[in-house]
Amino acid sequence: MSTGERLDGATVEVIRNYLVSVGEQMRRTLVRAAFNPVIYEVLDFGISIYNADLDLTAEAAGITSFLGANDYAIVKGVEYVGRENLAPGDVYLLNYPYWSGAHSYDAMLFAPVFRDGHDGPAAYLAVRAHWMDLGAKAPGYVLDSTDMHQEGLIFPGTKIVSGGEPVRDIIELIRFNSRLPDLTIGDFHAQLAALRTGENRLAQVWEKFGGETVDQAIRQLIEHGERVARKAVAALPDGSWTAVDYCDDDGITDDLIRMEVKVTIDGDHMEVDFNGSDGAVLGPVNLPIGATESLAKATFKELTSADEPSNAGHYRALSVVADPGNFFNAQYPVATFTQWSAIVAFELLHKALAQVLDTIPASSGGDEPGFMALGNDPRTGADFVISNNEGIGWGARKDRDGANAQQHPSQSVVRNTPIEVLEHKSTVFHERLELIPDSCGAGRFRGGVGVLRQVRYLADGEVLSMKKKSKTRPWALDGGHEPEPSEMVLWPGTDRAKRVGMYRAAMRAGDRFVNRTAGGGGYGDPLDRDPAAVVADVLDGYVSAEAAERVYGVVVDDSGAWRPTPARAARTAAPES
Amino acid sequence: MSQDSGRTRFAVDIGGTFVDAISYDDATGELRLHKASTTPDAPARGVLDAVGGLADRLDDVEAFVHGTTLGLNAILQRRGADVGIITNEGFRDLLEIARANVPSQYMYDFSYAPPPPLVPRRHRAGVPGRVDAQGTVIEPLDEDAVREAGRVLVEEHGLRSLAICFLHSYANPEHERLAARILREAYPEVSVSTSTDITREYREYERTSTVTLDAYIRPVLNDYIATLESRLNDSGLTHPLHIMRSGGGAMTSELARQAPLMTVLSGPAGGVVGASFLAREQNLPKVITFDVGGTSLDCCVIEDGEPGEVHEAAIDGFPLLIPIFDIRTVGAGGGSIAWIDEGLLKVGPHSAGAVPGPVAYRAGGTEPTVTDVALVLGYLDPSGFLDGDMTIDADAARAAVRTELAEPLGVDVTKAAASVFQVLLARTVGALREITVERALDPREFALLAFGGAGPLLAPMLAREMGIATTIVPQVPAAFSAFGMLMSDLEYEFATTVLRPLTDETLAAVEDTFAELEGQGEEVLSAQGVKPEDRTLIRRLDVRYHGQEHSLGIDLVPGDTAASVLARFSEQHEARYGHAMPEPGQILTLRVRAVGRLAKPGLRELPPAGTATPEPIAERPAFDVATGETVPFPVYARATLGAGHEVSGPAIVEEGTSTTVIFGDQRLTVDRYGQLVITGGQA
Repeated sequence: MSTGERLDGATVEVIRNYLVSVGEQMRRTLVRAAFNPVIYEVLDFGISIYNADLDLTAEAAGITSFLGANDYAIVKGVEYVGRENLAPGDVYLLNYPYWSGAHSYDAMLFAPVFRDGHDGPAAYLAVRAHWMDLGAKAPGYVLDSTDMHQEGLIFPGTKIVSGGEPVRDIIELIRFNSRLPDLTIGDFHAQLAALRTGENRLAQVWEKFGGETVDQAIRQLIEHGERVARKAVAALPDGSWTAVDYCDDDGITDDLIRMEVKVTIDGDHMEVDFNGSDGAVLGPVNLPIGATESLAKATFKELTSADEPSNAGHYRALSVVADPGNFFNAQYPVATFTQWSAIVAFELLHKALAQVLDTIPASSGGDEPGFMALGNDPRTGADFVISNNEGIGWGARKDRDGANAQQHPSQSVVRNTPIEVLEHKSTVFHERLELIPDSCGAGRFRGGVGVLRQVRYLADGEVLSMKKKSKTRPWALDGGHEPEPSEMVLWPGTDRAKRVGMYRAAMRAGDRFVNRTAGGGGYGDPLDRDPAAVVADVLDGYVSAEAAERVYGVVVDDSGAWRPTPARAARTAAPES
Repeated sequence: MSQDSGRTRFAVDIGGTFVDAISYDDATGELRLHKASTTPDAPARGVLDAVGGLADRLDDVEAFVHGTTLGLNAILQRRGADVGIITNEGFRDLLEIARANVPSQYMYDFSYAPPPPLVPRRHRAGVPGRVDAQGTVIEPLDEDAVREAGRVLVEEHGLRSLAICFLHSYANPEHERLAARILREAYPEVSVSTSTDITREYREYERTSTVTLDAYIRPVLNDYIATLESRLNDSGLTHPLHIMRSGGGAMTSELARQAPLMTVLSGPAGGVVGASFLAREQNLPKVITFDVGGTSLDCCVIEDGEPGEVHEAAIDGFPLLIPIFDIRTVGAGGGSIAWIDEGLLKVGPHSAGAVPGPVAYRAGGTEPTVTDVALVLGYLDPSGFLDGDMTIDADAARAAVRTELAEPLGVDVTKAAASVFQVLLARTVGALREITVERALDPREFALLAFGGAGPLLAPMLAREMGIATTIVPQVPAAFSAFGMLMSDLEYEFATTVLRPLTDETLAAVEDTFAELEGQGEEVLSAQGVKPEDRTLIRRLDVRYHGQEHSLGIDLVPGDTAASVLARFSEQHEARYGHAMPEPGQILTLRVRAVGRLAKPGLRELPPAGTATPEPIAERPAFDVATGETVPFPVYARATLGAGHEVSGPAIVEEGTSTTVIFGDQRLTVDRYGQLVITGGQA
């Protein structure tokens, strides 16, 4: 590509606004047309726009971890198809996990966009969304696959729309291989509508400003992103920091999986090296390199340019290292369906950085502890698959408490599913959904509290518990306390009661489960916590009076008056009140 | 209604800085405006001041419509009542757990802290009793537990406003009604709000948030309306006071006190109602409103005189399920600050506000704002600001643009200033495309209706940028919102979620529910003295494909069948999203809109202008975006422009509270209603 004449900072900003708006218009089209609640309620999707060099130009808000994965996948997809084979109106489907950087149900559609006078595609659009079923070994979600071929139908970058015409054979292949064909095909159409919106709107931007000018503006805004990010990295101290944490198991054995990361900051560059971790495991928690890059990018973005829409420049100062065969660089045919391990690793990266950056909060509950329910609704005769992402307590920071019951930071824009929606679409019945007192890690600033959800099945069905950090505690900082980890208890209060992490179980009508999510890690010694904050927590029931006395050294009576315990008094030179 | 001479109508709109009162004389068609300062500590005073500037007595006033942002401000400033929540046992944290999401603008901010819940945990109580998704009572409501919860919240915690929301109450509101009855009997002085009195839509957090906001503002709004009404009555007002609704239309003050939440986003609604009225009167099929104030810019799409509507809004991140106009807001206006971020020019989101304000106001502002930039480019007259009430330092504005913008960008002052408008317009263009993409519409087919203090200044520039053929600046654009309120009918919406397949059987089965909703509509209209011939009841179904979430509203016409409804739905779906599906339809919600027509003034034609061409009052150099040159712009006083006058750009039209800028490739025509119509030009 030729380098055009430099544009002024105002023109670049004007064009940037137009490009970001193209992504936003694609997002609105997708959300409004989607069939599957994981897209329209949970917002489980990622939309990205690339230039002719496959550099990220703009993105639309969706799941944080999808966005980085698109960047890797588009390169692999175009490489596989061959740039010279792309034609106007073509759309390709990619879900081969080692290329797409996600599990097989996160289907990425990508389309080249052509422009008069430009040799080859002038831009690419990618829309990734979670599909409900592609014929994996079990309905809903796969927790125990041991190779890719148990994880559903795989498309390595397959032409699904040719010259504007949907390829019937491919769509029928999907229809016949999906347990939920209507939802799956419906969502495919919604993604297609988003791509069409993107193509039209991109063409308008080219027409308005001239294609060459837009290309030049993109180059400059990528330079801008790089400049901003490098400046932020340069402001961080140089050095190397290592952290270790554990993922529960691989779903096949009970062994903890050891994850290790080494973060090195050298001038204006950051390297994230996972090679100290375990090698690939048998079960489906291995991470393709695209997923690993994605989780590192999300953290890097947070540190360097949190409030700017992403472009490729923002990530040029980051390199991610994981050798093939490592847990963090899964190779065919290693199983990769259940990538909750990425969330544990995301936390791990923060744990390493917390050693040098005092702006990093303690662990936010360890991972994302959701659940799915499957079954058949006897009232309608229809099969259902529903899911819910549950909030956890966020980690405390050096200067404030963590948020209560918030989605995990790695997928913060995701929403939980309303009880009234869940009960309409399935045969689960809620008996409780509340915050859990004392579930937070105590500290001078405490973590947020987690939630408890108690559900009874009205008809036979299945439950899938989703969590990979239930055996070890989320980490705290600076003498703060570690909270209890997340857990699901099946059949609570019966002699069958069973505590599980990632698990699939058959449920009979009348059976119950309790999903309990972890609070956030604490920050600092709880004996140093402001007693007024402890009193308020007791009055609101976030902290029990018993814990206030035992952990925080504050004895609170019914009227809200308080006195220090000897332990607190001993720490305070001049005891208050 | 009679058209006695001397009869007038009033509308009063409270904004952040000013109260606009507008009066309309039925006989002469004269429209008068008076502004008074907003009085946040005693809001009724500002209203009375503004009204007092137009009339000493209100005996002859035959209609009085009022739009208030009091409820909104109470929420934004956290100055509402201390509220207690009663909900199902085991679910008292629904308000706080919310949807657990982080707003997308904070997606990479992993130390995000959500705003504290409006109701602290200690003021939230659960009581036994449960209804299922089909509306069946699974467990009866524990009435003693309701009494006990009321005792704790009212007697121990001293709360004066209670909110009730139970799971699945949209399907069966029995428990909410029973609990409300018990609490009202026990504590007649305490205000009690139930979720299903406000909305019958599903999603428990959104409904809980809705009823909580209602309870939060109810005491504040009640006091205000009572005070205002009694003061207006003292001044001789005999007709009922009408309060503007967020979704357009007005309601009596009595109803507003029962449903205060319906007023909460009424501020921008007046302008949309006014725009719809103009669109219908002038047969403009497609209009985009463009309402620009100091800190934000609001746009709404109006098709065939009908503004886009949504049934969910949010205030400060708190959702509320009420019908409102689909207004898209861009956080940029006259006060927005322009700055340089690593070489890129940004406008907003920070605003200089009233203090320190633009650099040119010399009140401490050092960062150039959009207003400063408009001065630098010659669009605003430094001596004529707010009719000369303010001292303006254009040199200070120019110096700030030079040092803060031009030098870092390496361009001259004029280019830097013009670029600020380009960036502001780019954001606006994005917002307009985003609201039109959802309807598969092309913004170029629309007329742009500009109002608010800064709308007329920006609109012709925006029209050029987007290729919009026609821009209209109505009379008194700075008070257009108040004008819109004059044009309101009485309106109410009644809705209930049903979730049934779209079949002929269902249509027959929901007939009773529709009749019930219509009954409620008739009742409300009749209670407000609307004669039967002035009542209209419109049935609408929210339809979606089975399995899909988002629905489209389909108005029912007599003789409709499931097939005809599905066909119209598929047609709209195809138009909006580019595809229709061979899926069966599902009915999500039944809606009835009850409209009580109020007599209102028509749009009056002005006599043709006396002179062939208007005379400019001045001339000043300004930046013409059509040529990129600074050239002399003739300046016209709007008062001297009459129907039929035509002026070629460049030109500036001034009218005290607002300025319209027309560029070299554009043309201004004054239409028979006295509106400025700007055509031509494309970037």
